[in-house]
Amino acid sequence: MKLTQSVLDLNWEEVKVKITRFIRDYIEKARAKGIVLGLSGGVDSSTAAALSAIAIGGNKVLGLLLPEKETYNPKDMEHAKLAAEKFAIKTETIDITPAIEAFQKTIPLFDPDDNLCKGNLKARTRMLCLYYYANKLNFIVCGSSDKSETMIGYFTKWGDVAADIAPLMDLYKTQVRKLAMHIGVPEEIVNKPPSPALWPGQTAEEEIGIKYETLDLILCGLEHFMKTEEIAKQLGLQKELVEKVKRRWQTTEHKRRMPLTTKIQYRTVGFDFRIPHNQP
Amino acid sequence: MKQKFKVALAQVSCKRGDKKVNIRKIQEYTEKAKQQGAELVIFPELSLTGYTVRDELYELAEKVPGPSTATIEKIAQKHKVHLVFGMPELSEKTQATIYNTAVLIGPKGLIGKYRKMYLPTHSVFEEKRYFRPGYRVGAFETDLGKLGLIICYDTFFPEVSRLTRLEGAQLIVCPSASPAVRRTFFETLTVARAIENTAFLAYVNLVGIEDGLQFWGGSRLIGPNGKVITQAKYDEEDLALGEVNYADIRQVETFVPTLKDLRPDLFDYLKERAEKL
Repeated sequence: MKLTQSVLDLNWEEVKVKITRFIRDYIEKARAKGIVLGLSGGVDSSTAAALSAIAIGGNKVLGLLLPEKETYNPKDMEHAKLAAEKFAIKTETIDITPAIEAFQKTIPLFDPDDNLCKGNLKARTRMLCLYYYANKLNFIVCGSSDKSETMIGYFTKWGDVAADIAPLMDLYKTQVRKLAMHIGVPEEIVNKPPSPALWPGQTAEEEIGIKYETLDLILCGLEHFMKTEEIAKQLGLQKELVEKVKRRWQTTEHKRRMPLTTKIQYRTVGFDFRIPHNQP
Repeated sequence: MKQKFKVALAQVSCKRGDKKVNIRKIQEYTEKAKQQGAELVIFPELSLTGYTVRDELYELAEKVPGPSTATIEKIAQKHKVHLVFGMPELSEKTQATIYNTAVLIGPKGLIGKYRKMYLPTHSVFEEKRYFRPGYRVGAFETDLGKLGLIICYDTFFPEVSRLTRLEGAQLIVCPSASPAVRRTFFETLTVARAIENTAFLAYVNLVGIEDGLQFWGGSRLIGPNGKVITQAKYDEEDLALGEVNYADIRQVETFVPTLKDLRPDLFDYLKERAEKL
């Protein structure tokens, strides 16, 4: 397989149809009244929101804007509102700062200088809000995780990844951008640098240490069982860099699965209960 | 050919996906077994790679003979022993067709390989997803007599061990990777396979925890009368030695002559019925 950008090209109209059909079908089978999702103003959540609106109508989609003071960025808020307007989605804004501060006061071990722990707390607080709304309104939570971040484990366990459906999870970040353009997500959202907004100034590419254009091709190679030597050779990269990505993918499997148990009895959750999802 | 020799059941845990570490363990256990007088050292199923390696199998599989068997041949040569271990074997003719294989190596090099015929794909097992089944019986002439090879779930199908016996094997070697909930089955069936074939059977199971599956160990050497000659500990690494003396078979064969009483005429009927199940 030749690892060039064209290998990631898909028929975007077909992808749009598949995803919107999937969302509609899930909502019907779950007998849910709508979809709630977090709107950050980034390309993933804007695209997930847009696809939800195309699937079931914007009036049944609720976007929650969940800012907090440390990472507050008026541009992100503006972008989130722009996407919502474009696809006629209802929005609500909840400042999660008081909740974070309450955790700070409540948790004896809380370390305000530990960016990672505090950042994860923010992501999980956003999850709490989304699930409260879903519970209360009989909605489902739609996640925005893409395949690049999911594969390398660049997300908060039980935080931003927590959702009932994750319609973008089989598309790499650069593919989400192309799909976003195809369905009309505003260009300024599509082209801005992605950030999980867990602490001020955080950008995904800087933190991961690699551009998504390259990362996606490495991951695509790994997905197709290519050896690290071959991927490195084709992309003109150091083998160590490709191996680092591979390690990151393999060592984060625990973040992508239900909690591991040990088999004791006849059939076991996570092992050999094979019940279809979404039974009528 | 030797009539009497010691067999070592090398009940190890594996580092998943790390062939170097696992080969070191094969070396270490072989050395220990040799010091105690073993002439045949048996390791569990897929002991080169660990059992639950899933998609990594494609990268870990090797041809037989190949680099790993070459390294293990040197170990056998150095210690002048016979070794049996398990590994994912890449087919000679394709690039991603893999067998679940047991390899038999003697002091003079590679003797043979057996590709598992019955691949469990139920409960927690997904072997048919990754492996192609074998189609040939494993029975190989060695200085320790004719050795039969079967692997784990093959034990549930009496015809596999029966075929090795009909090929002339008097010792059936069975590397295994069985998780805890299946202990009773294996403890019963390994004894049955020995009795019904009037043969020795050496069962070597994995230990350790892989992806939440706890492999129970309990490796055992069983005599042709069904008596457990030696048994390794449950749930922890162990090296258990026992003696095979082919002369013992005669007495059992006269007492319960299962091979004399075998009825080939039933097998056509069996085949017919099995096809119509």
